[in-house]
Amino acid sequence: MTETRQTFAQLTHWEIAFWYGLIVVSTTIFLAGAVRLVVKYRRGRPEGLDRIGPRLARAARIVLSHSWIRRRDPVAAAGHLLIFYGFLVLFLGSGVLALEDDVTKPLFHFQFWRNGFYLGYSLFLDVFGLGLAVGLAVMAVKRGLLRPTRLDYRRPDRSENRARYVLGDWAFLGILFFLALTGFLLEAFRIAEHDPSFEVWSPLGWSVAQAFRAAGMTGQEAASAHFVQWWVHGAVALGFVSSIPYTKAVHMLAGPANVAVRDDRAGKRLPLLPPNPKPEEVGYGRITDLTWRHLLSLDACTKCGKCHDACPARAGGYPLSPRDLILDLREVAEGAIGLRSVGGIAPLYDEQADLLGNPIAAETLWSCTQCMACVEICPVGIEHVPIINQLRRRLVDQGELDTMLQSTLEAVHNTGNSFGEPKRKRARWAKELPFEVKDARREPTEQLWFVGDYASFDPRNQRATKALARILHAADVDFGILFDAERTGGCDVRRVGEEGLWRSLAEENIETLGNCDFERIFSSDPHTFHTLRNEYPLLGGEWPVVHHSQLLLELIEAGRLELSRPLPYRVTYHDPCTLGRYNGVYEPPRRVLRALGLDLVDLPRNRDNSFCCGAGGGRIWMKEIAPAGSRRPSEQRIDEAVALGGVDYFVVACPKDVAMFEDAIKTSGRQGTIELRELSELVLEALDLPADAEPETETVEEET
Amino acid sequence: MSVLVVAEHLRGKLRDVTRELVTAAGELPGPVAVAVIAKDPAAFDVRLAGVDEIVHVAVDCEEFESDVYRAALEALIRERRPGVTLLGFTVNSMGYAPAVAAKLGLGFASDVHGLAQSGDAVVATRSFYGAKVQAEVDFPGREQVVLLLRPTVWPQAENGGGASTTSLPVPAGASRARHRSFEEQPPGDVDITTADFLLSVGRGVEDKDSLPELAALAEKMGAVLSVSRPLVDAGWMPSARQVGQSGKTVKPKVYLALGISGAVQHLAGMKTSGTIIAVNTDPEAAIFGTAHYGAVADLFDVAEELDKLY
Amino acid sequence: MKVVVCVKQVAALGDEVEFTADGRDVDPDFLEHALNEWDAYSTEAALRIREALGSGEVVAVTVGGGKTEAVLRRCLAMGADRGVRIESPAADPFAIARALASVVERERPELVLCGVQSSDSVQAATGAALAGLLDLPCVAVVTKVDVGGDGRGSAHRELEGGLLDVVDFDLPAVLTIQTGINEPRYATLRAIKQAEQQEIEVLSCPAGEPAYSVRRMFVPVRGEGAEMLSGSPAQIAARIAEIVNERLA
Repeated sequence: MTETRQTFAQLTHWEIAFWYGLIVVSTTIFLAGAVRLVVKYRRGRPEGLDRIGPRLARAARIVLSHSWIRRRDPVAAAGHLLIFYGFLVLFLGSGVLALEDDVTKPLFHFQFWRNGFYLGYSLFLDVFGLGLAVGLAVMAVKRGLLRPTRLDYRRPDRSENRARYVLGDWAFLGILFFLALTGFLLEAFRIAEHDPSFEVWSPLGWSVAQAFRAAGMTGQEAASAHFVQWWVHGAVALGFVSSIPYTKAVHMLAGPANVAVRDDRAGKRLPLLPPNPKPEEVGYGRITDLTWRHLLSLDACTKCGKCHDACPARAGGYPLSPRDLILDLREVAEGAIGLRSVGGIAPLYDEQADLLGNPIAAETLWSCTQCMACVEICPVGIEHVPIINQLRRRLVDQGELDTMLQSTLEAVHNTGNSFGEPKRKRARWAKELPFEVKDARREPTEQLWFVGDYASFDPRNQRATKALARILHAADVDFGILFDAERTGGCDVRRVGEEGLWRSLAEENIETLGNCDFERIFSSDPHTFHTLRNEYPLLGGEWPVVHHSQLLLELIEAGRLELSRPLPYRVTYHDPCTLGRYNGVYEPPRRVLRALGLDLVDLPRNRDNSFCCGAGGGRIWMKEIAPAGSRRPSEQRIDEAVALGGVDYFVVACPKDVAMFEDAIKTSGRQGTIELRELSELVLEALDLPADAEPETETVEEET
Repeated sequence: MSVLVVAEHLRGKLRDVTRELVTAAGELPGPVAVAVIAKDPAAFDVRLAGVDEIVHVAVDCEEFESDVYRAALEALIRERRPGVTLLGFTVNSMGYAPAVAAKLGLGFASDVHGLAQSGDAVVATRSFYGAKVQAEVDFPGREQVVLLLRPTVWPQAENGGGASTTSLPVPAGASRARHRSFEEQPPGDVDITTADFLLSVGRGVEDKDSLPELAALAEKMGAVLSVSRPLVDAGWMPSARQVGQSGKTVKPKVYLALGISGAVQHLAGMKTSGTIIAVNTDPEAAIFGTAHYGAVADLFDVAEELDKLY
Repeated sequence: MKVVVCVKQVAALGDEVEFTADGRDVDPDFLEHALNEWDAYSTEAALRIREALGSGEVVAVTVGGGKTEAVLRRCLAMGADRGVRIESPAADPFAIARALASVVERERPELVLCGVQSSDSVQAATGAALAGLLDLPCVAVVTKVDVGGDGRGSAHRELEGGLLDVVDFDLPAVLTIQTGINEPRYATLRAIKQAEQQEIEVLSCPAGEPAYSVRRMFVPVRGEGAEMLSGSPAQIAARIAEIVNERLA
């Protein structure tokens, strides 16, 4: 007997025709939904897309390997992998049947779905079908029994019944499970009818069929049951497919699509404003201001909650959840320009209405530190940070910013620094050194040190700045600074949304730098390092830029620093957001610390999972809006360090981290338990320079 | 040259600045006359040491109205031609004295805190550029000068007799800005941004129960109690008392910081204060970099000693 | 209703200072310039009056050299309708007031708003001087203002100690505006750049006689940096009390 089976075995021609009719209907519904989604995206701002071929190839690799889904949650990844491939294989499996029935047999008289192929096919599908069921079970257990916080849909900024979301999630799992179950049952019934021996190659179905026969089911009964089950399974399957664009299942389309179109530099290289923009062209105010890519990304969200978990603002009690921001925007998109608006299904939104205020609260946007933890971990590549930045741009353009932030920006505009200090005071720290620092404006220099505001003006940070200067002097590095001509790099000004001010600062800095003769720029401030390296090229200012940790490592490896003795401390290192997640610089500071002989132990959340100090995105310039009694992110981070046990120093490589964590150590009462050191301070200690007192107690020769 | 002092009064009481002006007038040569512009000038007793003449100018309003006082001052100056006219650098004076001086083409300087003579001419000392520098100014070519003197710089003149009294009638004129009423600020709403002297406490306080004694000390010293953020976060004090980047920006004449380390965010709120005195047990506390005076000591020890002095 | 707002670009010193050769002023190298803080509040007050009445014109006027146009741009960016600069070397309140008077006379506004004082000279005189020259009523140190279309207005003046003087005044009038009356809106760089394309009318006016003349300028004697007090808590407390009494005088 040939190993195969008859498709549509018991169906009359009318029934087969009806079946194909159902396929046409369901496909039409599916396509209508998919097309309507595309129509929705096209309502957004246009944006170009480059290198489509390589993008698709890369997306295929990411989606098929689940490399983004796997991060930080191997269990969910395993579950999803099983569901994904299970569904895919079963779906394609039906396609294979159609291929023979509708294409190769009638057109080429070629039948392949028999014998060895059929047996292999059967086994394959059974295994993957089982995998699908197991994957669904894994997800159900996670959701129902383990109840991780990131699947808790409660919002930090309002009390709201999220039952609809939860129902939708369980329905999704339920339908897929129903399909798997009915698939196996109908297979069992089919096999039970005639019980051909080769069907053992469908082990699951075959086992159940044996059980049915053992229970006394006759071939006739099996055939009837099979008929019913076949239609049920078929109808539900077609129903499911047609529903994809209208339910949570849309992530199956939107997810991979977003992975393909997402901007790899999202958040790292923010887009410029169009020249001479009108108020409605600045940032996002209405739902139709979002670019088509951002509108697409809203549909890709699966509510996995990884961004919600990762967000330091949320952890600090601020009214921000990146997940809820995206879901709110999705609600508006759907209700204003999407399927719900077409169908008139509540909640509806007016597409002309301002997003700001309803439903997006200004405090939600201002809570963000732009740390990129959300963007980093999102399995489908949603760009929360640039979206928040665009919404902020509109707020700033309308003058809706808190008074603290406003005065800081005004100070930056007036004095070129966020401290409001006179320009002459910028390089005051350099006068306290026992040697002269070269003026890079007047003399050629090898390394141009772009110092940054906090490193220049903040007294605690000046200690680290002077330490670095002394290290470089000892290593005979040819370096210089810009003295009064330096303006703040503007990274946080940009991230706050004052794009015009960033541009003005950048243009000034680029002109100053353009008049200098140097080989490379370095900075001890990751924010400065980031914007100079990644964003100044947008305005024509492109130079090699490194962070001081990279420079120090170079010096150590070239033997230009005489490290006198290993430092006998146990330290931990905090990855700054703009150095780590933004620029991928994780190892150089660690290698420096190890080269100093330190016992370096990593914090649980390290490298790309580092937990933001809470200063970024201009938050250090804003009013405190976390509710009283909440534990600030910086304090939580110190807790994390202390919990490691026996750590002498909390090492940082960013001036804002210095300020935030020195404060956090005090306010959480950890003085005496743990101390803060900036990277340069430890390197300086290891150098053991002659007359090596703390820089500020050294006697100073002043030039008057 | 004669000196004319314009008395200032509010709600039926003579203001202290008037006595200070009389003392200052005594530093200049020439007879000193004190003019009282009021509905009932005689109700204000300006018989002070150094006053040679009292001039009553009766006007139609109980309280200050700028047009009325402007007309009165103009009449006084035209009639009496004083070499120097002194008023207090006060809210009311600002409303009319410059108007008169500008119209009549007189010399003028305000917020004057020092007076001197240079030959026949008066030299005034005042501050510029946010009090970072001072200057001596004079009035070449001006026979008459109007000066607004900074209150509480000169001591108040004692009572003394011997002044004759005259009146100067002033025709009634239009009063285009009329006093309607007074309103008090709600009590208990402390605005730390207007205080001249702030006693500010920070994390060094450590215990909520220490606050009442520090508040009492502040009151004794004539200071308003303010705090840095940790105490507000802890719920010990309302945010209206908070100095710092996320609180209020203050510029008092004196800022006495006890147990405040001087975090960047705090410094941003008070670093432009006139004189900053910081007490902290940590010799490396950042606040010492911004303070004008510092002491490495326990704030409670110092507070105890301050309490004995006041 | 037309409102003229008189604004000033003020100079601020850091903690370093050197004087010019004649010792009468600070070396300009040591000065940083910005819009006078009070004038941001008065500009905002003018804009709010225009918004409340639904119509009107806000004209920002300043006296000074070309660089002072920066403050006019800021006012235009905030929403002022026109900017006028009077080219003049005037530096004292009366010379400035004379220059302003020429424009105010021409413009014939219902209201003139000035800041109470400028942060660099602190004379607190320009507004009242302007009122004196033009024979307009002056309401000084205003923390609240309401104007109707009926030629009248009312204001709160903030007297010493926080007492408020409620005043009714006739238009046209000059008001000097105190800080804290409102929250000045933020002028984005974008708006400032767009304001750069707006034309600013430039007039000129001779300075005339100044109200005073600087003989010499100097730094008052004071300790630099934190002078550390030493000794027992009692000695420290005594020294603190001394300093406090001295500085509050």
